Amino acid sequence: MADEIFKVRTEERLKIKIGEAKNLLCRNHGSSLHRDVYCILSLDQEEIFRTSTIEKTLSPFFGEEFQFEVPRKFRYLSIYLYDRDRHLKQDKVIGKVAIKRQDLASYNNKDHWFTIKAVDADSEVQGKANIDIRFEPANNRHKLSCQKRLLVRVVECSDLTLKNGSCDPFALVSVLYSNGKRISKRTKVRKKTVCPQFDEIFEFDGSVGQDKDKNSSYTVCSENEGEICELHISFWHDGPSMGDDVFLGEVRVQLQGLQQQNAALRNAWYFLQPRSTKDRPMPSCATPPGTRLSVNSTLGSLRLNVQYTADHVFPSYDYEPLRTLLLQSIHSRSISSSAVQILGDIVSNKTEIAQPLVRIFVYHDQIVPIIRLLAEKEISSLTDPTTIFRGNTLVSKMMDEAMRLIGLQYLHKTLRPTLDLVFNEKKSCEIDITRIKDTNLAKTNLANLKEYVQKIFKAITQSAVHCPALMCQIFHNLRECATTYFPNNREVRYSVISGFIFLRFFAPAILGPRLFDLTTEQIDCQTNRTLTLISKTIQSLGNLVSCRSMQQVCKEEYMECVYKEFFTDQHMQAVRQFLEIISASSNLQTVTIDTPVTLKEGTMIKRAQGRKRFGRKNFKQRYFKLTTHDLSYSKTKGREALCQIPLSNILAVEKLAERSFKMKNMFQIVQPERALYVQAANCVEEKEWIDLLTKICQTNSNRLEKYHPCAFINGQWLCCKSPNELAPGCNAVSCPENNLHMTLDPERDLQRMHSLIISNISGIERLLTSRECSSVYGADGCLTFEDMESCHHTLKQILEVAYQLEHKHRTYQRMLARETKYGSKAAPFGDDNYLLASRMNLDSALLRRHGPTEPSFSIS
Amino acid sequence: MTRPPNENLPTIKLVVVGDGGVGKSAITIQFFQKMFVTDYDPTIEDSYLQHVEVDGQWCILDVLDTAGQEEFSAMREQYMRKGDGFLLVYSVTDKNSYENIIHFHTQILRVKDRDVYPMLLVANKVDLVHLRKITEEQGRELAHKLGIPYIETSAKDPPLNIDATFHEVVRIIRNQPQAELEKRKKKKLQVLNKCVLQ
Repeated sequence: MADEIFKVRTEERLKIKIGEAKNLLCRNHGSSLHRDVYCILSLDQEEIFRTSTIEKTLSPFFGEEFQFEVPRKFRYLSIYLYDRDRHLKQDKVIGKVAIKRQDLASYNNKDHWFTIKAVDADSEVQGKANIDIRFEPANNRHKLSCQKRLLVRVVECSDLTLKNGSCDPFALVSVLYSNGKRISKRTKVRKKTVCPQFDEIFEFDGSVGQDKDKNSSYTVCSENEGEICELHISFWHDGPSMGDDVFLGEVRVQLQGLQQQNAALRNAWYFLQPRSTKDRPMPSCATPPGTRLSVNSTLGSLRLNVQYTADHVFPSYDYEPLRTLLLQSIHSRSISSSAVQILGDIVSNKTEIAQPLVRIFVYHDQIVPIIRLLAEKEISSLTDPTTIFRGNTLVSKMMDEAMRLIGLQYLHKTLRPTLDLVFNEKKSCEIDITRIKDTNLAKTNLANLKEYVQKIFKAITQSAVHCPALMCQIFHNLRECATTYFPNNREVRYSVISGFIFLRFFAPAILGPRLFDLTTEQIDCQTNRTLTLISKTIQSLGNLVSCRSMQQVCKEEYMECVYKEFFTDQHMQAVRQFLEIISASSNLQTVTIDTPVTLKEGTMIKRAQGRKRFGRKNFKQRYFKLTTHDLSYSKTKGREALCQIPLSNILAVEKLAERSFKMKNMFQIVQPERALYVQAANCVEEKEWIDLLTKICQTNSNRLEKYHPCAFINGQWLCCKSPNELAPGCNAVSCPENNLHMTLDPERDLQRMHSLIISNISGIERLLTSRECSSVYGADGCLTFEDMESCHHTLKQILEVAYQLEHKHRTYQRMLARETKYGSKAAPFGDDNYLLASRMNLDSALLRRHGPTEPSFSIS
Repeated sequence: MTRPPNENLPTIKLVVVGDGGVGKSAITIQFFQKMFVTDYDPTIEDSYLQHVEVDGQWCILDVLDTAGQEEFSAMREQYMRKGDGFLLVYSVTDKNSYENIIHFHTQILRVKDRDVYPMLLVANKVDLVHLRKITEEQGRELAHKLGIPYIETSAKDPPLNIDATFHEVVRIIRNQPQAELEKRKKKKLQVLNKCVLQ
């Protein structure tokens, strides 16, 4: 049983676009009423990402997108809005939007406006606590045997919030009695830990008289007698002086009456909760405005677009039927009746389906034929060759995804040098005279623009030999196809390729370099405009050879001067050559990439490696850069590298146990003589660095099999206590799956396809039962009767495969629900997380109707 | 036609959206430059400015012609925020472009955070009678469903309804009293707020 659960992994991915905020309250102090606003995205209390600051506005537009693999369990995704204050040192929080993880999926793919809520210390809570509650008969001090004692053992906490970088927690245990009396006791303070072990036991009397000495409570039955009604355990960060304790979260347990008391008797884990409102101190005038406003006052709203997917991925063999069905599309009698095309028609969001499809077909080396077949179908039904592949169809989306997957390194190598120049120089390129104040600048701006365009144009047209072979094969097929269908149209064989490589690859990348990982820096308004102008010119240049008439129409007047410069025979020749080479039939692309390509860079903190014999092993912030050759770090970006580690010297990349340095998000890069200990900014960064480094060094022949999960400190390994620094590791290295396509995860993509099929299952059923099939596919007039039959057959197959797989999911979910123990560390009390476990994609009636055991549903 | 007056004219920002290859640029260029472009050069982002007289009132039309390919959808919300009115264009020869209109419509309303907004459904390329796949009835049905007016156009010479299209959107924008009022109210409120707070 548990074995089965172990085989299933859950992969979560989150993509979030922070759009804009509106109706923010204006500042009520200082000279300006407007605010300088930025957002921080966090998983619980951990900062993951920060937007740029939008100045002097109450309705800031961010338009920033961020996506990542979720590395750990979290309860809330929060976006905090801050007002940057130049005069006061500390930026002030305006408010936040917090979304429960379970609710994320319900907002998928559409823009939503969220109400901004107030933030104060009492609401910012994370972590969980282990508490043991029991009752015991009172000791003999009391005469009456009905008297009970409450025993509360505060065992430990896990994952508490850091307050200003530190956490010295203690617990305050209070019992409330029905007569209003409250008795509080506190634990000792634990220093510098977010996972404190308290293990302290507190005793409380079962009932208590009012304002009387407890020991002489002879009036047991008096009216003032109070019974226990509630237990509060709150956790605090021990501030420097009495009043400075900071709230970290609390657990409330109802203990009124026997029933509640019996229910509460257990040793269990609880999620920490925000402070209950009635216990909060009343807001006073002294509170800084904006931090604690009344609940009713609106703080404005924030527009977000989230896309959250959590896939339960089964072992590979469970996906065999689905995999076969999809891959069969290539051998299908007609592509129109293939599973890929049918699913592509049913799922309305083409991007959603194109992504997993492309990855599955790339993994199985079938991307070239499937795109050829789909493209052929689209071209054959085309009436006007000028708008070839211009719409948003399945094949154009798949091409887009394929180019991004296969050609990203090529894209970086081609565009990066010039784009870096654009970002660094920040020369103005505005040539639209209606947009510039000083018209004298127009000439200089034009010269700047020309220079950039020329550089990028040259980089692109000379990059043909580096274009990945797989992309070239696809382009070759497209061109062949276009030539077959439009034999008399010489231009279309170029436009079919330029429409992808320029319009859907280079132009969008120049326009939005952040979306293609070409930069991580914020782009200012002026640079954005420069990029737009470059992108426009490059796109038109790429389209140049496919224009039928030489009289290029200038759409916007001010662009004429640019076009005049570039629309020459020489440029046309260069574009033509470029397109010819990347769509050539023979594979000339054997050139290996010799110059290093940057894979990832960013600031992290590293511990001194001890390369020098003497010197302290301190922690320093460094700028790290991983290329296809080595990992290096320097003082700041662009400075000379202080240390370069060749990739071949990396023997293992593993997480480092938190207890080594009591620091979070640390990992180690093991080299022959020493290990480099690095701390990433947050859990997402850490995962990305580890994954990338592991991947790139996976083929190293000298990879270690064992490593030390902790550091070597004060003459011994913290993990195995071995005093020998060169002692072999005590733990097996984590083993990444060993396959050829290291970056691809076909099971996960198949699971994604399955989820898509399930969410569109009613559409498929409708198509099958009604004769809509014929009306949809017959309408184009290109389907024969046999085609319709095979289309019908495919639909049936899709359904059967989906029901089979969904059945497995439901069995798994039921098992999970049975195995999950609420109150355990993995599933603490306090959040309604059990709802998630019981939630199903399909309603059970539907599955019962079509379950695989049902004999009524079989393929004839 | 009278000459445009010199005093400060109101600027109206229009945005032309729709799938790739439906003729957004052809319509826009036909309106501004009175000609039909035969070459297809996919647009990334073009803007045009012109003084226009609609129903005897002059205004400055600032039209943004956008990219239809989804690769550029990241820029969409930026221009959706700025537009005062939108032309939702599809081609009557392309079923996909017709089906995608609803996505543009929803996104505009969501970005604007409103239930209605000045928009016009434009069915382009009606001159291609023999290739037509979406009938006028289907077009009107969609327009009715979205609660916006419908117009059929052709940018090819002789153009059909091109000027009428742009003028119609201007009229729709002018005839939305409640929105204007709302704006003014908000401004007043903000001013009031400031006074109270200070």
